[in-house]
Amino acid sequence: MQDSDKFDCIIVGGGVAGLAAAYTLAKANLKILLVERGDWTGAKNVSGGVLWGPTAFDIFPALLNDFSSDCPYERVITHRRLSFMSETSATTFDFKTDNFYKKPYNGIAVLRSRFDKWLGQQVEEAIAESDFAEDSLVATGILVDRLLLEDNKVVGIGAGEDTFSSDCVIIAEGVNSLLTRAVGLQTGYVEAELVGTGIKEVWQFDQEMLEAKFQLEGDKGMSNEFVGCTQGVEGGAFLYTNKDTISLGMVLGLAALREHKKAPHDLLDAFKQHPAIRPILKHGKMVEYSAHVVPVGDIRLVPKKLYMSGAMVVGDAAGLLLNTGKAIEGMNMAMESGRQAAYTVIDAKKRQDYSESFLKSYQERLAETFVLKDMVRFQGAVKFIHNPAMFERYPLFVNTILERAFTVDGKPKKKMTEILPEIIREQNLSYWELLSTAVKGGLNL
Amino acid sequence: MKILVFADQKKGKLKKSSFEVLSEAVRLASACGAEVHAALLGSGVKEQAGVLAHYGAKTVHIVDRPELATYINTPFVTAAAAVIEAVKPRVVLFPTSEGIKDYIPALVQKLDGAGITDCCKIKWTGDGVEIERPLMAAKARSTMESSHSLILLTCRAGSFDTNEPNPAAVAEIVEHAATFTDLKQIFKEVLAANTGKISLDEADIVVAAGRGVRDAEGLKLLEELADVLGAALGSTRAVVESGLVSATLQIGQTGKVINPTLYIGCGVSGAVQHTAGMGNSKVIVAINKDSEAPIFNIADYGLVGDLFKVVPLLIEAVKELKKNS
Amino acid sequence: MKIFICCKQVPDVAMTIQIKDGKFISEGMNYVLNAYDASCVEESLVLKEKYGAEVTLVLIGDEAGKEALRKGLAMGADNAFHIMDPALNQIGSQAAAKVLQAFFKGRDFDFILTGKQAQDSDMGLAGGILSEMLNLPYVTNAVGLDMADNKVVVRRQGDEGVEVIHMPMPSLITCSNDMNDPRIPSLKGIMASKKKPMEQLSLADLGLSADEVLRESKKSSLKSFSLPPARKSGAKIEGDAQTLVATLMEKLTKEAKVL
Ligand SMILES: Cc1cc2nc3c(=O)[nH]c(=O)nc-3n(C[C@H](O)[C@H](O)[C@H](O)COP(=O)(O)OP(=O)(O)OC[C@H]3O[C@@H](n4cnc5c(N)ncnc54)[C@H](O)[C@@H]3O)c2cc1C
Ligand SMILES: Cc1cc2nc3c(=O)[nH]c(=O)nc-3n(C[C@H](O)[C@H](O)[C@H](O)COP(=O)(O)OP(=O)(O)OC[C@H]3O[C@@H](n4cnc5c(N)ncnc54)[C@H](O)[C@@H]3O)c2cc1C
Ligand SMILES: Nc1ncnc2c1ncn2[C@@H]1O[C@H](COP(=O)(O)O)[C@@H](O)[C@H]1O
Repeated sequence: MQDSDKFDCIIVGGGVAGLAAAYTLAKANLKILLVERGDWTGAKNVSGGVLWGPTAFDIFPALLNDFSSDCPYERVITHRRLSFMSETSATTFDFKTDNFYKKPYNGIAVLRSRFDKWLGQQVEEAIAESDFAEDSLVATGILVDRLLLEDNKVVGIGAGEDTFSSDCVIIAEGVNSLLTRAVGLQTGYVEAELVGTGIKEVWQFDQEMLEAKFQLEGDKGMSNEFVGCTQGVEGGAFLYTNKDTISLGMVLGLAALREHKKAPHDLLDAFKQHPAIRPILKHGKMVEYSAHVVPVGDIRLVPKKLYMSGAMVVGDAAGLLLNTGKAIEGMNMAMESGRQAAYTVIDAKKRQDYSESFLKSYQERLAETFVLKDMVRFQGAVKFIHNPAMFERYPLFVNTILERAFTVDGKPKKKMTEILPEIIREQNLSYWELLSTAVKGGLNL
Repeated sequence: MKILVFADQKKGKLKKSSFEVLSEAVRLASACGAEVHAALLGSGVKEQAGVLAHYGAKTVHIVDRPELATYINTPFVTAAAAVIEAVKPRVVLFPTSEGIKDYIPALVQKLDGAGITDCCKIKWTGDGVEIERPLMAAKARSTMESSHSLILLTCRAGSFDTNEPNPAAVAEIVEHAATFTDLKQIFKEVLAANTGKISLDEADIVVAAGRGVRDAEGLKLLEELADVLGAALGSTRAVVESGLVSATLQIGQTGKVINPTLYIGCGVSGAVQHTAGMGNSKVIVAINKDSEAPIFNIADYGLVGDLFKVVPLLIEAVKELKKNS
Repeated sequence: MKIFICCKQVPDVAMTIQIKDGKFISEGMNYVLNAYDASCVEESLVLKEKYGAEVTLVLIGDEAGKEALRKGLAMGADNAFHIMDPALNQIGSQAAAKVLQAFFKGRDFDFILTGKQAQDSDMGLAGGILSEMLNLPYVTNAVGLDMADNKVVVRRQGDEGVEVIHMPMPSLITCSNDMNDPRIPSLKGIMASKKKPMEQLSLADLGLSADEVLRESKKSSLKSFSLPPARKSGAKIEGDAQTLVATLMEKLTKEAKVL
């Protein structure tokens, strides 16, 4: 192959990580190729959820535009709820603020097929404005089946009979990380306890009805996380409001599912029958169902080395995701890691040095951002929420307290100081356990 | 004002769809005070003209010529244009067939008319028609309007009820001449097709084979079921593609639109392009081993099971039923 | 040999169709090359490999339509024309044929391929109307295409079976997707497509006035969209084969009374 066909960088995967990388590179006037196996960027991305923090706005300033139509995201999250569920009851912390309605927004609800498609168009536009308008491209409907290696250095990609060479490859292939494994960046076997299953349904409503149901104003939206609704299986549920749909789903530990012999959709079905959820779904229509693997946010899933000669790995492929129970942060981490990898390529090009020792700077950069910092700092929280009691006993405890406190049954009422010890005794909890949990929770979250 | 209906026939027999369309024309005519005419194109079709009168045609126009014996579009366009130019109708209705779908575009253009295909509702608005038609693989419907001076509409099979025929009614029969020149296409042959014993678009019961039938043996099982039920055999595209049956049996967006009283899909997943052709069946039965198959979303009776186990028993059960009745 | 293919970009009908207040909601829809037109492209590439040909695409559509053309070019077509004009928003089959007539006036070609129908409108008129306008012989619903003695040999799916029809050139053929399985563009093909010529034309370039198009458009007009009456699914019947058949027979004879 002629050198003139060589790309500065090939990005494998058109998810949020790959698109952030590609956009940053195209803007910096590099010759790039992004390859996505879906028919369009976003085609295979059934997930959705809330994209937290300023990263996305920082990388794609056009997200700050005022959209009259064709807005790539669904709603701005100004209303957050965290619910503790028992079989029959729910206790919810409810927080609402217009402070989250200032740009860049604190969180936006996105549906990935629409959002990633829009990001893809941004990349196309950036390419069109670059010096490589005709040579750089976003190619969809193509599966990259191998990375080309020469002397332990990644020199390009292969897709069927075609091969393409590049100085550098950014692997943004998402959680299945087949290529990452094939080149040895992700080693060994991923333990079931480090990954979870995410399942999600999208329910459609008449937009006005949806807005009335959740008391939504304009394009403001609500996110609700739930614990205690998983029949003892590690994990939780979420509900996010989109424009005229809601995303409703669960993230469940794979090992825990096996251990409890539970199927994800059975748990989701039971959740939908909960008295706090069932009325929400009334008059709605399920329009989409999807299931996907998710990293649980354990740092052990993050490869020791996120780089090698000629390649870097970003986003879910690198296990960069944080789930502290109050929010899942995967997309923002994916985008930030994509951008940092792109910055590294830009520097590498200046020096014409794509060696392992130079690309190491990608990991160093990442260590300076919230991505690795938060992942390290919040490991305690990850462990904390993986404590089995969190999925069953504590939510039940909280709900029982409130139920007793709110009960009016014609009998002499008890004081809280009487109710508490009673429940603690009934539910076999210890003061010490509760106290230490409260302290741990406080320290870690 | 006149409404003209082109009847469709096969081997000397008028098709059921012709009566549906003619019945609809009678209803439409009474709404706008029009006169209903019918037309029949073919070779040796004169004898059938009388039957069209039973369904309400006051005048039947015939072009009976050997050039129309085998189907090819040029002579049919010529003949149809000759009748329309002579009758001067405001609205022309057609049933749907591969032949009609083939010649209608040229006819529309030749006569500078307005053309709309696949109508399932027709209403007189006072100065034209308003129609409804399915689109996007029958996942949506559109309402269209035309007040053009000549409106040509094809009608979706099974959309219109057939009136009771009046055997006493007679019609005036007018024969038209047409000059056939300019025959640019040359018809060579029809490749023999296993069209099934009972015509798919006329059948009351249809047994449809999906990819689940696997091979010739599986197909034979369904043929047997069709036989005992007196049903027509149909199929999905997947089965046509595999070479097991001819494309004349294909039901769906690319194939035929059917609306039997009973449809039994065996090993059919229920892709939109297939359901576009059978979604209007009165009763839908699905036999599929995958309980999540989309066909169960539209089936009245969804049997979750292996067709190779279910169909043999079903054949026996139907035989038993027929024996007792 | 010169082959022209008329292409339309259509919403992906496999997706959920949304209609609100009588309007089709295009937001969130993915748009693709009409599957029947993709079959035209595939068939002409096969002919090209066999006999040598130049394959040209023509599309009437908005800016986004370029994607459909790119797809055809990535499959292997040689060049493309994109007819784009504000006067051509939401045109129907008859108006599209009028525009295409103007496009083909004075152009040299051996045959024109169109899809048997557009997947969005399922109308199936544009091809035949165009050929009548151009005074060309045509065949619809082709499932096979070849050449013999300087004639096109078309295999057409007719009512009784596959009809074999010979036609002189130039002529027009509308293709069924039963003709072939359109190839999936390779990465090389996608890359090459970016550099293939794509010429943009306006109505004025075609020497056609907006009024002439309007005259065709006005013959019939689209008023509104609706969703078809939903079909309610009945209960799933589960159990062993005996139970299934017994239950079904009971239902068909006693409940539905169709046997
Ligand atoms: C149910 C669920 C809910 C979630 N909720 C949230 C949430 O609320 N907030 C949040 O921030 N995160 C959430 N996440 C996590 C988030 O979705 C991921 O962290 C994020 O998508 C990671 O982005 P990525 O670009 O690394 O990978 P992906 O988005 O998975 O993208 C990878 C892309 O690469 C393509 N690809 C893969 N292999 C190849 C190949 N060989 N060749 C070509 N293309 C290839 C894929 O098709 C895909 O488009 C959720 C996840 C799930 C499953
Ligand atoms: C433009 C276009 C037009 C099309 N037009 C048409 C059309 O007109 N008509 C049409 O039919 N398709 C059409 N298609 C194709 C359509 O999309 C589907 O691919 C096709 O209908 C699938 O056929 P199927 O259900 O037989 O096969 P599959 O989708 O493969 O389903 C086979 C089913 O059989 C079940 N099965 C397997 N074994 C057994 C067993 N032993 N017992 C019971 N069940 C079993 C499986 O669970 C599965 O659900 C078109 C596609 C396009 C793109
Ligand atoms: N906007 C358009 N641009 C180019 N070709 C078209 C357009 N609309 C229709 N066609 C062609 O006509 C065929 C049939 O379309 P229709 O008659 O609208 O169902 C399509 O498959 C295309 O080949």
